[in-house]
Amino acid sequence: MPDVLSAPLVVEFPFTRSLGPVQSAFLTGLRERTVLGVRTDAGTVLVPPVEYDPVTAGELRDLVEVAPTGTVTTWAWNPTPRRDQPLDTPFAWVLVRLDGAGTALLHALDAPGPDAVRTGMRVRIRWAATRTGAITDIACFEPYDGEPGPTEPAPCTGEFADPVTGIAAPARLDYVHTPGRAQSAYIKALEERRTVGERCPACRKVYVPPRGACPTCGVATAEQVEVGPRGTVTTFCVVNIKAKNLDIEVPYVYAHIALDGADLALHGRIAGLPYDQVRMGLRVEPVWTEGARHVDHYRPTGEPDADYDTYKELV
Amino acid sequence: MRDVAIVAFAQSAHRRRTDELSELDLVMPVLHEVLGATGLRANAIGFTCSGSADYLAGRAFSFTMALDGVGAHPPISESHVEMDGAWALYEAWVKIRTGEADTALVYAYGKSSPGRVRDVLTRQLDPYYLAPLWPDSVALAALQAQALIDSGETDEGTLAEIGARSRTAAVDNPYAQLTGDVPAGDHLVHPLRTGDCPPIGDGAAAVVLAAGDTARALCERPAWIRGIDHRIEAHSLGVRDLTDSPSARLAAEHAGAFERPVDTAELHAPFTSQEVVLRKALGLGDEVRVNPSGGALAANPIMAAGLIRLGEAAARIHRGESDRALAHATSGPCLQQNLVAVLEGESAHE
Repeated sequence: MPDVLSAPLVVEFPFTRSLGPVQSAFLTGLRERTVLGVRTDAGTVLVPPVEYDPVTAGELRDLVEVAPTGTVTTWAWNPTPRRDQPLDTPFAWVLVRLDGAGTALLHALDAPGPDAVRTGMRVRIRWAATRTGAITDIACFEPYDGEPGPTEPAPCTGEFADPVTGIAAPARLDYVHTPGRAQSAYIKALEERRTVGERCPACRKVYVPPRGACPTCGVATAEQVEVGPRGTVTTFCVVNIKAKNLDIEVPYVYAHIALDGADLALHGRIAGLPYDQVRMGLRVEPVWTEGARHVDHYRPTGEPDADYDTYKELV
Repeated sequence: MRDVAIVAFAQSAHRRRTDELSELDLVMPVLHEVLGATGLRANAIGFTCSGSADYLAGRAFSFTMALDGVGAHPPISESHVEMDGAWALYEAWVKIRTGEADTALVYAYGKSSPGRVRDVLTRQLDPYYLAPLWPDSVALAALQAQALIDSGETDEGTLAEIGARSRTAAVDNPYAQLTGDVPAGDHLVHPLRTGDCPPIGDGAAAVVLAAGDTARALCERPAWIRGIDHRIEAHSLGVRDLTDSPSARLAAEHAGAFERPVDTAELHAPFTSQEVVLRKALGLGDEVRVNPSGGALAANPIMAAGLIRLGEAAARIHRGESDRALAHATSGPCLQQNLVAVLEGESAHE
């Protein structure tokens, strides 16, 4: 087994975001196959539209409709599409100035290869079959050799039935997490049902779980010290709300536990006695479950309670 | 107001992977080195400020863990920016200028190896119109490069020369990740080839700032910050002229960069095409040594690479190899935000 552990780590965010009046009109418009822009104080039509003028910071509300056809202002050929990008076959990223707009919109262009793409080429929107009021309602752009749209945008109220007021923006990022030397050693010792901290070479404090340095002295901790298994409850709380996906009956007690020999309390659940009998100073020991890589909970040892002076520095 | 100088700089060796190191393990040796260079102990530092981004390694609040390496308890005066460390340096500079501290420790780190950095960086984009399309960092830089090619300001050959020059310079930089003869490679996203793109890697850097006589006591030849400013472009890429960087030019103007020529410039241009934009915006001619360290094309630990530009420029002044240097840092897609500092050694005036 290598010295440093690693494990896949997926971070997923189901962001939901509310929209301002201009963004709401634009994204609702996409759902209805209509592209809206907004006119700035200086008269430029911004597509995609924003709520505030990028130059004056003034509030923008003068919506107009532009054409679904336009001109590529710059491009970049993407030979290997990445997950979640608009197309799963090679495509060009493009900035497109739609006919009637003064600024360009970023999207994908479906084209056979880089030789088929150039700045200045004419393109049109390919609409997604299912549209929800999102930038992805534009599936992509495609080459277009028809008539250009009007250069002057058409006035538009931006009012639609059932306007979109928010977007769901799921995001998933994949990592391979490596916790580093100190935490790898801590986790590996847990496999043998041992709790191993690290001692600061300067102040001699023992940190559990170890993070690799002493936050007081700012130096690396390297000397490994086995602590516990018994410890003392330094403080606790009673949990009355059941956590999602957690199969523990409420109320239960969650505590700070100073393991014998440690200079830092760690967290753990207390069980094996009624929740209202847990107290500061209670002596506890870990309970492991088969196959688990961490302590399931702590239970009373039956020893007399610890004297407050023995743990007051750790409260 | 008081003069402020960079009095020490340290950086890690930048590497593609550092699986055996936590972020704390990555940053702590650099902190010790930079403090050791000044003889200051951590608890003698007036203000500590760091720059990093938890999304890179996917580890929430990693910056609070990294603080253990500073010796942050009992509580020190401390701050953090979710930006490149160059912006942390700016915050520390303000603290010292306003008299709230005499010294500051500034550090930054980036551990990109656990994730897929091209995807991770899409999460900093406009969440309504851009992020749902997942346009990765190379794709956005390539759109800017093509705009430069279309405008006749560069071509693929010129871009390749920028990459080659940077990696050749980096041969003398023991901390660099990608040095020497690096092939131009295939198109990653046309028109950018692998050689036009920065290496992905992990690294850390730190500087110490000090005011007036404290700086003179801590460093034989302090690198005085004569001016520093940062500016930002409009958010939407389609609103901008991607072939220019008015924000970099404005920041340079406010930093006093155009008052007298500089002899050296450390530019934070992760993509070759961005050096073309910055040279134009900052008015740098062939007489200026640009990126003698190799720049971000030789080592680009995200969130630290901008601070490293300030550190590299300062270190050249410390060593007497420069009298007046420009240091630049960037953040966001296509040079979205730009910070410019002008650093001087004292003999430049005397």
